[in-house]
Amino acid sequence: MQAPSTAESPVHAGQRSFDPVALAVITSRIQGIVRRMTNTLFRTARSSVLNTARDFSCAVVTREHEMLATAESLPIHVMAGPDLVSASLARLHPELHAGDAFLHNSPYHGNSHAGDHCLLVPIVSAGEHHFTAVVKAHMADIGNSMPTTLWANARDVYNEGALIFPGVKVQRDYQDIPDIIEMCRTRIRVPDVWYADYIGMVGAARIGERELLALGEDLGWDTLHAYTGAWFDYSEEMMAAAIRKMPAGRSVAQNKHDPLPVAGAEDGVPVKVTVDVDPENARVRIDLRENPDCMPCGINLTEATSRTAAMIGVFNSLPTTVPQNAGSFRRLDVLIRENCIAGIPVHPASCSTATTGVADRVANATQRAIAELADGFGMAETGTLTASVADISGKDPRHADSPFVNLIIIGLTCGAGHARGDGWLVSGEVGDGGLMMRDSTEVDELLYPIVVWADEIVADSGGPGRHRGAPACYVEYGPADTEIEAMWSTDGYVHAALGARGGYPGAPARQFLRRADGSVEPLPGWGEQLLKPGETVLATSAAGAGYGRPWERALERVERDVADGWVSPEQAEEAYGVVIRDGELDAEATAARRAELAAQSPEPPEILEVEHRSREISDRLGPYVLGTVPPQ
Amino acid sequence: MRCAIDTGGTFTDLALEHEGEVRIFKTSTTPEDPIRGILEVLALAAQGLGMERAELLSKIEMLIHGTTRATNAVLTGNTAKTALITTMGHRDVLLLREGGRGRAFDWSVEYTDAYIPRALTYEAPERIDAQGRVLRELDEPATIAILDEIAACEVEAVAVCLLWSIVNPAHEQRIGELLAERLPGVPYTLSHALNPTLREYRRASSTAIDASLKPLMTRYLSNLEQALTDAGFGGELLVISTAGGLMHAREAAKVPITSINSGPAMAPVAGRHFAAADPGAQHAIVADTGGTSYDVSVVRDGRIPMTRETWLGEPLTGHITGFPAVDVKSIGAGGGSIAWIDDGGLLHVGPQSAGADPGPACYGRGGERPTVTDACLTLGYLDAERFLGGAMKLDEGRARAAIDRDVARPLGLDTHEAASAILALATEHMVQAITEITVDAGIDPRGAVLIGGGGAAGLNSGGIMRRLGARALVIPETGAVLSAVGALMADLSADFSAACFTSSEHFDGERVDAVLDELRERCRAFATQVGAQSHRVELIAEARLARQVWQIDVPLRAERFAGDEGAMQILLEDFRRLHEEIFAVLDEHSAVEIVALRTRVVCPLDSTSEGRLTQAAQELEAQRDAFFPGHGLLPTSVRSLDTIDQGTAIAGPAIVESPLTTVVVEPGSSAERRPGIGLLVTLENTLEQEGGRADAGTVNG
Repeated sequence: MQAPSTAESPVHAGQRSFDPVALAVITSRIQGIVRRMTNTLFRTARSSVLNTARDFSCAVVTREHEMLATAESLPIHVMAGPDLVSASLARLHPELHAGDAFLHNSPYHGNSHAGDHCLLVPIVSAGEHHFTAVVKAHMADIGNSMPTTLWANARDVYNEGALIFPGVKVQRDYQDIPDIIEMCRTRIRVPDVWYADYIGMVGAARIGERELLALGEDLGWDTLHAYTGAWFDYSEEMMAAAIRKMPAGRSVAQNKHDPLPVAGAEDGVPVKVTVDVDPENARVRIDLRENPDCMPCGINLTEATSRTAAMIGVFNSLPTTVPQNAGSFRRLDVLIRENCIAGIPVHPASCSTATTGVADRVANATQRAIAELADGFGMAETGTLTASVADISGKDPRHADSPFVNLIIIGLTCGAGHARGDGWLVSGEVGDGGLMMRDSTEVDELLYPIVVWADEIVADSGGPGRHRGAPACYVEYGPADTEIEAMWSTDGYVHAALGARGGYPGAPARQFLRRADGSVEPLPGWGEQLLKPGETVLATSAAGAGYGRPWERALERVERDVADGWVSPEQAEEAYGVVIRDGELDAEATAARRAELAAQSPEPPEILEVEHRSREISDRLGPYVLGTVPPQ
Repeated sequence: MRCAIDTGGTFTDLALEHEGEVRIFKTSTTPEDPIRGILEVLALAAQGLGMERAELLSKIEMLIHGTTRATNAVLTGNTAKTALITTMGHRDVLLLREGGRGRAFDWSVEYTDAYIPRALTYEAPERIDAQGRVLRELDEPATIAILDEIAACEVEAVAVCLLWSIVNPAHEQRIGELLAERLPGVPYTLSHALNPTLREYRRASSTAIDASLKPLMTRYLSNLEQALTDAGFGGELLVISTAGGLMHAREAAKVPITSINSGPAMAPVAGRHFAAADPGAQHAIVADTGGTSYDVSVVRDGRIPMTRETWLGEPLTGHITGFPAVDVKSIGAGGGSIAWIDDGGLLHVGPQSAGADPGPACYGRGGERPTVTDACLTLGYLDAERFLGGAMKLDEGRARAAIDRDVARPLGLDTHEAASAILALATEHMVQAITEITVDAGIDPRGAVLIGGGGAAGLNSGGIMRRLGARALVIPETGAVLSAVGALMADLSADFSAACFTSSEHFDGERVDAVLDELRERCRAFATQVGAQSHRVELIAEARLARQVWQIDVPLRAERFAGDEGAMQILLEDFRRLHEEIFAVLDEHSAVEIVALRTRVVCPLDSTSEGRLTQAAQELEAQRDAFFPGHGLLPTSVRSLDTIDQGTAIAGPAIVESPLTTVVVEPGSSAERRPGIGLLVTLENTLEQEGGRADAGTVNG
């Protein structure tokens, strides 16, 4: 199908620099194309990580390898990455042809992490390469040595074990290249599901190709390339205008990734970010070079995610919304070095969890550093990934014991309080910008032999603040009539999200195993667990932190939080200075308590320990989950 | 005599069909008491027909009503105090939703509260699994304790949505029985009965919305019926359903979610009729331009596609109805959309709107910012003296001043260029909305005719047609009240669905037939109940490839499947063709799964209206200057619709006016009046290039 013609579209009207109306019109058309790509994969994919949680992204990159458009994509996938993989593709494949498609997941050639397969389709018209359509999807499996795509304990890329594709031609003349497909089918678990998801990616990329070709024919390729230049200039100007409104100064923030059984990481992995905001020259510089060298585990960032994490921290702190593309990125300088956990990895360092873990820590430190420059800017820290996001695998007795593997994404609540309001409730981590979706219990139970027993927020867990962090989510799941293997890499078990400007930290993650006999025992922050029939995992996610002092929070917001069970009356009084007795506000006692807090101005606690709240849920649900409710 | 009244956000529209003639009337909506607006528009109609209102009402045999009452109640939170009963452990189903949001990094928006607060959500100790097996029996004593607690809270309605009730409804049914016993008189909704669809959030959301509307809509519809009866009405009151059919008011009150967005659901019904003006068109794109919103729907090979993804508020973060509804995409674009320049020097139109009050700058009611209406006035498309049939005088000076200050000077354009840019960008937003509902679903707009409804449609629909490359544009003569006119053409209908899982690998034709029989029986019962002379049943399968989770609607061509391999093969072929059409790919080796079956029963009303509009001819100036991009100011002839002879083509540039609409015929296009239809606008030679695509279904969850 070709796009309709625009005989008198305003594109052709004026060419002073670039017609501002045409600029808006073409932008709208290209965003529409990326949305159509997204819709195709979402509706056709087979794994719930794609068709329900939407853990994938679509983008268009220019022939100069600049990020042009991303629509509803996850920030950690696309801000830097598609540009790097496009450039590496050009190095390995100097000639690109219509009908080509390339598979790319190499952490050493610009991709985010091996678990994200990229499908790259060059847009070639009359032998000339104009753009590249990129589909990046977090696969249910990639053929690692263990059935997980996020493995913090992988010693190196060999131990991790995935097939690495540094931009390998997988289609020629619009047809699969069978030997590459067979390589995948012999290595990736549940190959039929992988192949079906791959077909969905091809469909998305080909729809992007078809529509971009039509757009180029309609407007003329020269006009389209002139447009990209003008769009980048415009975006850069928007970014500059936003930075000019920010406070000047240098701010340093530090935090820690949770401990790992690796030398030097026993107490956690320190992350340090130095941010320089220069409103006069409208630039922001983020220095990540003072971080440890690459470690023999899977938490090392890739170049794509190092750069992106820093940029996410800045974009979360901008006073206005700015388009995310190569133009606005020009105003940011991300300083990184080789062989650094937050820099450029050196083969064979493993980057298995490079989209989460340290990436979350870098983004969080960046936005918190900006928050500390002046009130009304920046964001506190967002909670990090926990065992409610786990790789599950096994055999499905409902389908003749056919094998399954998938990343389940439940219980995503972790948004941080920020300059403008409370933490966004449903979000997986800082890197998804709130755009990731969550599983449906019924879809998970339909596709996989599991039961999701609970999925609810935990009172008092959101970091208190003038703007409260999002509360944690309590999730309980287990196998249905079978055994399943669950693997997870939690960060936020020891080191929780930190508050900004006097806000309290979010509650740390907690996870337990409930045995069939009713006993409950703690599970480690990272690990693998064979779950037998009757056993369940209890996972409380890491909550978001607060922004600003809690006793300055608007009274009616605290009252509403208490009335609806987000905050207990005890925490309301203790942290927020709001005294509620029998559901009624005690105005006098509140005024006194708030005055007292303001006078003392207590430091935020190091840990917001509300494990008893999770335990309350677990105790309440226990007899029900175990099926031992006594007859009444 | 039949009469349709559509109460919209701004206007209450009336269309009346009597002895083959259609009359249309429009008055302002009275939001505080919509029934008053209905009586007022009836008075206006009676006046127009030269009779008393009571006389008019006594002649109306059937009064069809569409209302935004339910939608507004949900958006403003003025619904009943409602409790939700969920499965133990899942009390936050309405709060957590399905996740996602519109834009990353836009932290100016706040997370929307759950539709029913946690404090009014109760967890039933029970559990059913995906196969419908009972994992935990419903704990009745605990459930009764919950119901007593709910009773103590003085709730006005109860929603019940348990996991997997679509596979095994036993626990929901039992809670329904207990509710009837313990909370007599309190209305309730059970999710499996209302909306048997996969995904607990959307089912819970439909159930909660439906229950919360029951007290209000029951009251509203009975008050309306009473008020009409008091005013002299003795006929039947029907209500438009969100699925594009009509229901008796008493039935609609039992399922009030069906009245959400019911007005716009009628636009494609009218559009299907007007599309006949271009018999070569495969599909019709139906657009309805209001003051603040632009609603788009399609007619695909004569069928009106449905969706289960209607959101009240923002997509993903508002409240989903989850209920099968005519697929209408609505964007905030209209005459009131404000034009502005951002920090980077880029022009935007909307999403802010000047609304009706203060309205565009040219209304002179205190609005300072330039709008699309100001642009149209400046371009010479609108007549300052004859806006809304002369009901309002427009101030051209104010329009120009606002455009100069906010757009022309910052961009270094002259006033006309700036106004033209504003209209072009508004047009582009509308084109994108159409593209999403057509191209995303595999429909090529080049095989379609565009139907421009709404009073302001004629101002830029020519530009939209041109941008889409559509075959032709039809501006119906009754387009100003498109939904009300659609209601006059609609049939009594109802939709029924049932879960029915089977796969092409182990196809269970007997089970499919059994479910279809049951659905057909419900259709027959409906037809009998409404006293229909005849009825027809349309069958649809919701199908997908194995392990996919989103379905495609596939119209069934066979009536029975058991023992008929050919019938199943046809179904598979239809599914695969649709899948490839919509998604550009197909995994041919994969099995096809049928998840649910749906039926629609249609009971045709005896006299389907095809009446033509009757209205007074008007005198107009012969010519004025209008600006066209690429041409500049051109002397443009202005014609009254009534003075155009049928079969005479009018070449652009021209402006055609009728009391409620203005149609701009651009240079390079021409317009022709068609009897019973309106204006048919085409580009040169468009209709000679025949094309189009095969039938296709729609996507839903």
